[in-house]
Amino acid sequence: MVDLLQKAAKNYTVRVFVQAILTIWAVATLTFLLVREMPGNPIDVLIEQILTQEGVSYQEAYDRVAASFNFDPDASLLDLYLSWLGDLLRFDLGTSITSPGTAVIDEIARFLPWTVFAVGMGLLISFVLGIILGMTMAYYRDSFLDHSLSLLSSFMTGVPNYIWGLLIIIVLGIQLDLFNVGELRGTYDISLTPGLNAAFVLSVFKHAALPITTYVIATLGGWMLNMKSSTMGVLNEDYVNVAEARGLTDKRIISAYVGRNAALPLFTQLTIAVGFVLGSGVVIEEIFVYWGIGHYLFQSITVRDYTSMQGVFLILTMAVVFSNLFADLTYGLLDPRVRISGDK
Amino acid sequence: MTSEENVNRQTAPNPALAILLIPWGLLRSAARFLRRLRSNVPGMIGFIGLVAYFIFTFIMPHIIEFDGDPNLDEIVGPIGSRIQLAAHSENAHLRSFEDLAGKTVGVVDQTGGPDLIAPYADSLTIETYRWTSRRAGPGLEASLIDLANKEIDALLIFSKTVTELIDNQEDPELKALFAENIVITNPELGPPHLLGTDTQGRDIATHVVHGGRVLILTALIGGVISTVIALFLGSISALTGGVLDSGLTALTNLILAIPRFPLLVVMAGLIQFNNTLYLGVLIGLLGWPSLMRAIRSQVLSLRERDFVEAARSLGLSTNHIMLREILPNMISYVMINFIFSITFAMYEQIGLVVLGLAPINDYTWGVMLYFGRSRGTLYNADGASMALSPVLAIALFQVCLVLFARALEEIFDPRLRTAV
Repeated sequence: MVDLLQKAAKNYTVRVFVQAILTIWAVATLTFLLVREMPGNPIDVLIEQILTQEGVSYQEAYDRVAASFNFDPDASLLDLYLSWLGDLLRFDLGTSITSPGTAVIDEIARFLPWTVFAVGMGLLISFVLGIILGMTMAYYRDSFLDHSLSLLSSFMTGVPNYIWGLLIIIVLGIQLDLFNVGELRGTYDISLTPGLNAAFVLSVFKHAALPITTYVIATLGGWMLNMKSSTMGVLNEDYVNVAEARGLTDKRIISAYVGRNAALPLFTQLTIAVGFVLGSGVVIEEIFVYWGIGHYLFQSITVRDYTSMQGVFLILTMAVVFSNLFADLTYGLLDPRVRISGDK
Repeated sequence: MTSEENVNRQTAPNPALAILLIPWGLLRSAARFLRRLRSNVPGMIGFIGLVAYFIFTFIMPHIIEFDGDPNLDEIVGPIGSRIQLAAHSENAHLRSFEDLAGKTVGVVDQTGGPDLIAPYADSLTIETYRWTSRRAGPGLEASLIDLANKEIDALLIFSKTVTELIDNQEDPELKALFAENIVITNPELGPPHLLGTDTQGRDIATHVVHGGRVLILTALIGGVISTVIALFLGSISALTGGVLDSGLTALTNLILAIPRFPLLVVMAGLIQFNNTLYLGVLIGLLGWPSLMRAIRSQVLSLRERDFVEAARSLGLSTNHIMLREILPNMISYVMINFIFSITFAMYEQIGLVVLGLAPINDYTWGVMLYFGRSRGTLYNADGASMALSPVLAIALFQVCLVLFARALEEIFDPRLRTAV
């Protein structure tokens, strides 16, 4: 038994899994404390509000807040914590405070796919473009092309992504009048019925186009620079020289020898980017009025809907943790060197 | 740091002299640094840009007064307008204040016209019109009619509105009268509002000048706090090792897994700051983990170098090893990442302001964006100057920081990559 446990602890897959679960548990605890114990926490604020507005006794105000937060007013903090964790295990994130009866998890399920779509498309496009441009920069290093692309990448990474979004709206949308900003709000044209028809799919892409473009511009610079330095490292490797000496075609060397190996380290950075882009989505989606999870988070903050707030926050964290986990688990498939040593 | 010590050691037996020599040493290393920077064009552009930003946001506000008096009781003018001169068609040669001497000039209240013309009040007669005719007094249209009827010789006014009033005039009689008699002349009187005015008739250019100080200070606070925490925890973690090290590493990994911006958004929504600088503190307190991890690995690798080995075998204290041996060797790395953490702090606080979750009592570039969004000027084709000036101010500042940081990277050690 102990032997088995020891083996499990040494197993890479088990370890990253346990790590991910622990992280989510820690964040869940943090969220719990944030909502209940932080100065200015929503429960105290609501109680205060009811006390001053309606002049009822403290106990009654507390009971009413407990009712709207779905917790037993007589339970101790520990009990509350345990029951909250129990609910979480059943994916029960409670019901919304401002619209009673609506389960937070259903709302999240309604908004999250749009964000995943926009962020996923954006990252995919910028990743592929960045790898191509970064390799080009490395092959033509110190040329005019290299210098101008690296200057461009400074602009792309330096300028905050919501500023890119605003620039797109102001310059392309308003000043040059290339598209109607108002029409592109929301996630699809509401006159269409959702389904697998051409008009609907087209409208989905049209509405996501601006957020996707923004994500691409804002993340492309980073991929370019990383891919350039990674490629330059690989170009010095012996196996590239050997491949050249063996007379392999340039095309084969670039794609199978240089490209593949140089792109590997970037996959781990992709998961960091997922977290960052998902997080920054709050502003981007607000700016373009794209109805994704960030928009939902912001709406719940403005109406101080705390259960929705903590639910979305938890789901966002889980998304980041799981994408990290996914990267950790698949990295071995991409890089045989890791698979053999069994550890990074 | 090391060079100034060298100067002290070599030439200064007299302590008073040594103190005098410190600035000299600093100047010398600064000059050496600038010489190396000169060969890096983007870095030089970034450096000059940052100096310009410093002058622009910290010195200019003392010279240029903030135009903060909104005239909410009368909505003033189209956004982003410039003052221009309308005159009679046959008098189109009016081009400067000298030409206006002895004439009667109409100005429209609250457009900056009265201020512009005040210095010349002795040489000409001034007629004042109100922007709207909602209140007593002749309004904008009346001013045009007076001009067309030659009751005044010229009119200082928002060009765009005048053009619109003339072009879209529905009264055919007035339309003909205007078309025949009025010409909009000379932009050369110079726009007293370089970037026009906002929805409240306030000068946008002064807002741009005044709008950077608090933002940059907040970002600096955030950057300093997160860099100091990262430096402290990173080096402690690497130097002591053991349980403390694994504990700190686990904590760092945990914080790194939390999406930082949503956390800030949620916390800002809960706490509701009333002071932007507190926001800087919060950003700093949340922003250290990635840099901490990088500094930890830096210290771990520096620790194995021969000179640290030597210091340790001499029995020097951990303090001495950290401050005198390790820190000077990674100070450039810390500097570079400090700059990057400023850009992050800038990103996060402006994002919060745009969402309306940060204090808007200081009229910063971020607040200009916030109002642009909430008042719809961003979506108004006339509002280009109002919408674009804060956007460009923020964008160029961030680009200057990144260009400068990348130049530092290349100058100090091309192999060092940044933490983020």
